[in-house]
Amino acid sequence: MDYTQQNQKDKQKMLETIGINDVSELFDTIPENLKVRSINVSGGKTEQEVLDYFLNIASKNKVLISFRGAGIYDHYVPSLVDEIVGRSEFWTAYTPYQAEASQGTLQAIFEYQSLICALTGLDVANASLYDGATSTAEAALLAFRVSGKRKLLLSSALHPEYIQTLKTYLQNLKIEIIFIPLSADSSVEKGFVDSFNNDDVAAVIVQSPNYFGIIEDMKFISEFAKKQKSLFVAVVNPLSLGIFQSPGEYDADIAVGEGQVLGSCMSVGGATLGFMAVKKALEWKMPGRIVGQTVDKDGKRGFVLTLQSREQHIRRSKATSNICTNASLNALAGCVFLSGWGNNGFKNLAVINMSKARYAFNKIRFLEGFNTKFENQTFFNEFVIETKKDVKKINKVLLKNGILGPLDLSNVGNSFKNCLLFCVTEKRTKIEIDKLVELLAKI
Amino acid sequence: MEKLLNELSSECGSAYNVGSDIEINVEIPENLKRVSTLGLPSVAENDLFRHFTNLSRKNYALSTVFYPLGSCTMKYNPLINERIAKIKEFISIHPYQPSESIQGVLEVMYDLEKDLCEISGMDHFSLQPAAGAHGEFTGLLIIAKYFKSIKQKRTQIIVPDSAHGTNPASAALAGFEVVSLKSESDGGILPEKLKEILTPEVAAVMLTVPNTLGIFEKNILEIADMVHKNGSLLYYDGANLNAVMGITRPGDMGFDVMHINLHKTFSTPHGGGGPGAGPVGVKAFLEYFLPVPRIEKKKSKFVLNYKKHKSIGKIEAFFGNFQVLLRAYAYMKSLGGEGLKNVSQQAVLNANYMLSRFKGKIDIPAGNRCMHEFVLSPKSLLKNNLRTLDIAKRLLDYGYYAPTVYFPLTVEEAIMVEPTETESKETLDAFIDTVIKIIFEEMVQIPQKVKDAPVNTSVRRLNEIEAARKPILKWE
Repeated sequence: MDYTQQNQKDKQKMLETIGINDVSELFDTIPENLKVRSINVSGGKTEQEVLDYFLNIASKNKVLISFRGAGIYDHYVPSLVDEIVGRSEFWTAYTPYQAEASQGTLQAIFEYQSLICALTGLDVANASLYDGATSTAEAALLAFRVSGKRKLLLSSALHPEYIQTLKTYLQNLKIEIIFIPLSADSSVEKGFVDSFNNDDVAAVIVQSPNYFGIIEDMKFISEFAKKQKSLFVAVVNPLSLGIFQSPGEYDADIAVGEGQVLGSCMSVGGATLGFMAVKKALEWKMPGRIVGQTVDKDGKRGFVLTLQSREQHIRRSKATSNICTNASLNALAGCVFLSGWGNNGFKNLAVINMSKARYAFNKIRFLEGFNTKFENQTFFNEFVIETKKDVKKINKVLLKNGILGPLDLSNVGNSFKNCLLFCVTEKRTKIEIDKLVELLAKI
Repeated sequence: MEKLLNELSSECGSAYNVGSDIEINVEIPENLKRVSTLGLPSVAENDLFRHFTNLSRKNYALSTVFYPLGSCTMKYNPLINERIAKIKEFISIHPYQPSESIQGVLEVMYDLEKDLCEISGMDHFSLQPAAGAHGEFTGLLIIAKYFKSIKQKRTQIIVPDSAHGTNPASAALAGFEVVSLKSESDGGILPEKLKEILTPEVAAVMLTVPNTLGIFEKNILEIADMVHKNGSLLYYDGANLNAVMGITRPGDMGFDVMHINLHKTFSTPHGGGGPGAGPVGVKAFLEYFLPVPRIEKKKSKFVLNYKKHKSIGKIEAFFGNFQVLLRAYAYMKSLGGEGLKNVSQQAVLNANYMLSRFKGKIDIPAGNRCMHEFVLSPKSLLKNNLRTLDIAKRLLDYGYYAPTVYFPLTVEEAIMVEPTETESKETLDAFIDTVIKIIFEEMVQIPQKVKDAPVNTSVRRLNEIEAARKPILKWE
């Protein structure tokens, strides 16, 4: 099955119109010694065979009850999100170059931008970037463009894969990265920040909740960034903004993050949604597509791609970014997700995440052989537990019971040996949490 | 006019709800608490369903119209791929699950890499890049790292002026200086001209084959030889791979690094602008530099290997856009090698048929043959102050998405048509007849109607200048 349509009669007519006898003549410009006779790719299956083939492969994966987060989260996706994202008028369209014939996508992106602005408290959002890691890298690049400065101050509690991606993005750009050390409780070391002084820092980048689940004192860091005349980049979990201070409230210049939590499934970590919102003054420096409202020739409201002279198809090597294809369909999911809760509903969703995580935390920390890593920290839906037990064994036992246990943090550094990062979302039930606790107690 | 969500919002209700079987109070310290209002709309599910359904109906899409958007390969997106991409054992999987619990995921990725190698003639692939431009950037970082490893300082990338804008933008992002190469009228490269700028500073030459005018680079072997003799590498922009599958391979042509747009050639949906996937392929001597993790097979078990010290690192979090990779792999298993070859033959046949029918009527700067797409230049036919843009808008009235216009930048008033292999002769004929009618009848007889187009869309021509002059980028 190759989805081509021409029958022999049509083909013959087409060849005659072109004035050739055989399709192969159309490839005459390719040197003979470069031609291959065939390629060895298995396939040619019927639809049913293909489905069976993939069902068989899929059966080699295990769907688990997840207590693991660290960047990708198991949240409930409402039916409406799947229904809308599944509408072929959205998923089979491409970038809305012809605005008049793409008003559905354009208005949806405009609504998405509005919702991201509402959530972050910032002025302008773009149409999406690839993911949380790359949007963090793009934020750093934006800061360099604006300031001409060559240093970056980065929280050590930023997601390790975001740090790695950032380093990859910047590897040829002669940028110096300075890491803000962590305090004993694994948040940004305030003492370091207080004594730090360098006027070549383009941006201060801090994640909250940080990699260890802890809500940072973003206001404090923001004020410090202002004193340095650096841009403050907040890497945030959008769901946490239902209850925690927004980037706008603590006066961040740029907010970025992973929007998978807004209506996209985990799908092994991709495709997800990178989002970015900035203050008005930075809008012309922003990477990626932006949709704007305008009117048609009858004065009727409509939407177009705008501020396009920032982009690669016009500015080429001087563009604000190389991005073209982004994560539009995930942004649509985010849009449908964010528009159905109302303020109270969304806040409630965040509260339930936090309270379920707190319930699990309270139970696990008092188990024999387990203890909290930090006292008195505020966390959202992830927390760190230190254990005297064999970490590998813990996860092996949990896996046997159909549970994806906490993430082993021993790779992060010596201070995290025997530490476990748990995540509990609204999707986990009391029964599941109690089962987890029961299994941990028995190890 | 469809209302905006904030205009729909009422106190009447919301669409979603969530409950908890755990009663526990959480205290948020005052200094960390959100005090500003969230400003989210509150819309009942019924109204929200209508809102988004109505919006979807304002889109032209592949599932509703012919979508000959040049350079984007808007081929049919098979539904079996969507069905497979929704299998629970694929989508409800956390990226940090232990590898023994995701053997199916790793098998798909491992085998997909192998198939892409076979199709392209490269030795290794990484599936991590999220889009074509992301793949370009990854490939260029690999090139930079390679030269660093052999202690050569090379600072330039040569890009033809007919290339996609992402090429120079990616090269700049990777820290290179971009040297633009003037292409010929068919978009091709003259080896003599390339030679003039091929200095020891040049790290790589980026080429799109066939080029953006739909022409195969006939001097490719000579160019590859020249580039390699200079110690530089050759980069293949795989945007137009749909023309040559099973017929010729970039790896055999002499390319060292390439990317493939799975959302073009391998039928994964474009999603209104993404997500896509832009796997990067390299020759064996560059394998060390590919992003981590690499998927390896050890005694019939698949494992992730992060310990690659020469790697450029991670180019995004986790493993890439798995759902997109899955669809592309499903497509390959439907078609197989023979099917893929037939795809390219049919895509090229369709494009040449259209070209032949336009021949003698509309200027075709690249000549009378093409690969999978072609570029028209109606400049000499434009009358009554009408432009290519007007032709594009008028096509919308006839129920077609417009071809790519004003690209490549090297062709004046360009109309770039890519029919793909999944359209019938009947569809192609009707489209051709419509273009001819607009240019030869309507532009002459009813120019105002063309200028006023479109009238059959949900809005009429939109004021883009005003949109950029006074940006309104969110609800007011």
